[in-house]
Amino acid sequence: MKKLLIILISLSPFLAQAQGFQVNLQGQKQQAMSSAGTGLALDEASVFFNPGAVSHLEKNGVSVGVSPTIAHSTFQSTSNQSQARSTSPVSTPFTAYSVWGPEESKLKFGLGIYTPFGSTIQWEDGWSGRFQLTRLQLFSVFIQPTVSYKISDKVGIGAGFVYGIGKIDLRRDLPVVDANGNYGNAKLTGNANGIGFNAGIYLKPIEKLSIGITYRSRVDMKVNKGNAEFNVPSSLSSNFPNGGFSSSLPLPRVITLGVGFRATDKLLLAADVNFIGWSAYKELAFDYENNTSTLQDTKSERNYKDTYAFRLGGQYSIKENFHVRAGVAYQLTPVQDGYVTPELPDANKMNYSVGVGYTFAEKLTVDASFTFEDFDKRTDTNKETNFSGSYKTYIAIPGISLSYNF
Amino acid sequence: MKKIFSRTLYTIACISLAFSCKPKLETPAIDKGSLNLTTYVAIGNSITAGYADNALYRNGQENSYAKLLAEQFQLAGGGAFKIPYVDPNSVGIGSTGGARLALTYVTDACQGTYLTPRPVEASGDVTIFASVYAAQGPFNSFGVPGAKSFHVPFAGYGNSANGVGNYNPFFTRMAADEATSSMLTDALARNPTFFSLFIGNNDVLLYALSGGAQDAITPTGTFDASIDATVNALTAVSPQGVIANVPDITSLPYFTTVPYNGLVLDATQAAGLNALHAGSDASFHEGANGFLIADAAATGGKRNAVAGEFILLSTPQNDLKCTGLGSQTALPTQYVLTATEVAAIQAATIHYNNKLKTVAEAKGLAFVDANAFLKSAIKGITFDGINVSTTFVSGGAFSLDGVHLTHLGNALLTNEFIRSINAKYRSTIPEVDITKYHGVVFP
Repeated sequence: MKKLLIILISLSPFLAQAQGFQVNLQGQKQQAMSSAGTGLALDEASVFFNPGAVSHLEKNGVSVGVSPTIAHSTFQSTSNQSQARSTSPVSTPFTAYSVWGPEESKLKFGLGIYTPFGSTIQWEDGWSGRFQLTRLQLFSVFIQPTVSYKISDKVGIGAGFVYGIGKIDLRRDLPVVDANGNYGNAKLTGNANGIGFNAGIYLKPIEKLSIGITYRSRVDMKVNKGNAEFNVPSSLSSNFPNGGFSSSLPLPRVITLGVGFRATDKLLLAADVNFIGWSAYKELAFDYENNTSTLQDTKSERNYKDTYAFRLGGQYSIKENFHVRAGVAYQLTPVQDGYVTPELPDANKMNYSVGVGYTFAEKLTVDASFTFEDFDKRTDTNKETNFSGSYKTYIAIPGISLSYNF
Repeated sequence: MKKIFSRTLYTIACISLAFSCKPKLETPAIDKGSLNLTTYVAIGNSITAGYADNALYRNGQENSYAKLLAEQFQLAGGGAFKIPYVDPNSVGIGSTGGARLALTYVTDACQGTYLTPRPVEASGDVTIFASVYAAQGPFNSFGVPGAKSFHVPFAGYGNSANGVGNYNPFFTRMAADEATSSMLTDALARNPTFFSLFIGNNDVLLYALSGGAQDAITPTGTFDASIDATVNALTAVSPQGVIANVPDITSLPYFTTVPYNGLVLDATQAAGLNALHAGSDASFHEGANGFLIADAAATGGKRNAVAGEFILLSTPQNDLKCTGLGSQTALPTQYVLTATEVAAIQAATIHYNNKLKTVAEAKGLAFVDANAFLKSAIKGITFDGINVSTTFVSGGAFSLDGVHLTHLGNALLTNEFIRSINAKYRSTIPEVDITKYHGVVFP
């Protein structure tokens, strides 16, 4: 288990599947149902989806999963003929969960390690947005120890403390050129951290119906000792001194209402509505340690708005140990007109998911899913940069997890 | 329904093809509207020629707004556009005979080592003035450095037999017939279907650049008659075209880089200068002072520069800082535009611009308000994440002579032309991708 975790972390857990920077890849069963599952007590991923449901899990278990994410964006300028494609590397969001409690105990303990927010985007060389962004990698890993208490067969509550660690790597070209035609560039890298919590209630008023309500708090990820590196013509090096910078990125609170409905013995349905408090993200500011007349602190307005996602999924049991799943979701963008940027060419989007799960010898379960996200074409002129064009993004995410129950 | 079906099919295909499908976006269609771009001719001065860094040289020519505009026209069926190119390896030559400027490290006793524009060679390349018409002509670009409004219809403008000062060697090199050609006759001989006319800058600028010490502002009557003669002749052949107006000098870093009150003194220095210049109109105090300038009308022949007056970029900067020019000794008039001179320049500019706009409207031509565009850039504007301003060197729009544009400045100007042409002729000529063009080159 420990070894496997280390391997997973050494993958590049930079994330792309996003609503804003939110990553909705926190469990293969749920992903296969377009990430509905707050109202279900399905598996160890309830540590993330609903800590209140953890106490209602029938078995103890550990599970690990990974979801290689393949994202493609295309940009077409409004004013000229230039077109650009992203050349983003595959990112690998991962999950690791464990749930444990004595057999007859009402109390269960859980631990979740997951990647709730992040983004990876890299644009092709020389593209027309390069003075805003050539590459951005944002990633966060949340570590969440959790307790869950089964008040009765009808009610469970749970909460977890969240410690978040993160990384930022932002690169852009600078519009200064040397005699060979080489442009300058800037690279900002740093580590971040923050704290928060995840709490939930699980209700099962009748046998066929279950309800989940969760509150995942805002986590402010602060970069205190970032490193700003500038590569510019030598005569300008004193204008762009290398040095430290600080910044912060708020990861918003998410409030979810989920419902589970056992339609038949074989068919389980789930529906979730997420409220995401993206209005917390007002600006992206960089405070440089060494300011010069050319290197001033920057404040770029982002002005995200609160937004919603609607998720619907189902699981059909072909046999007791063999399940197929499918789901759809519609996710509304938090990015308002005038604020679309190459770092996150976000738009409203549809999410289509399918998956299977098979359990061997009642203990080892393999779940796999495939998600396809189709972003609406988004045409915008950014208010800060006057960069005008259309973006279109597809994201494909296969995923697999292994669970061991005891 | 069909669309939904095909999109679903595409989505399924995407998924099955190893998740490698890339989203497709249509490149906007190019519509030439009512434009006939078969033969485009550009008439103008140094800006049209792509003159930059105080010289005509190849790299500047290749990035002139006229060339960029012609390239965009070619996307909409426009014809070939021939420019009287100079040799790519030439250091170029300027109106006063110098080679092109480049940012260079200079060391002297006064200021130590610093970066400043310097000619790349001791003198310019006079071989540029030899005719290239036989080798490269006939041309589409009639950008002639130094040309004023009344030079456009001037027959024999390139005739060296007229003697030095009475002909323009920059036209000699491109004229179809040195003795008889005018810019206008050579342009008309191409049977243009579309023209651009960007002239009038030099009608005030050559006077302004010399601090009012040389040259003269073209009288408004002469300007009006020249523009009428030019535009009437052009529109008789080519009913379609675009006219650009004249930027106000306050948009040009040549005039705005050295502040009029850049003389910062402490109390002792001020007292010393007051003693030195006792009995004149000049007076000094602690803090920022107007530079000491020569003015025959002032008591003692000297006074302080006041707000609204300009100290020119041609002023020897070293002497300002190190030898007491502008403080112990008065700045000679060729380095200063006084309020009276500025008023005369701006009155003429306003008149010219009214005339150009009236003519464009009367002839149904597109009109580019280059003056308004540059004014909007004084405080800085952002395009595609690049902040551009009229600030010298760092602003990105103006080359090292403080008057002519960089590649980036030309690209931005080209887009102003395209926007006004598209609006007038209901066309959708794509703009230039400005991120492919750079400002001042740094070592």
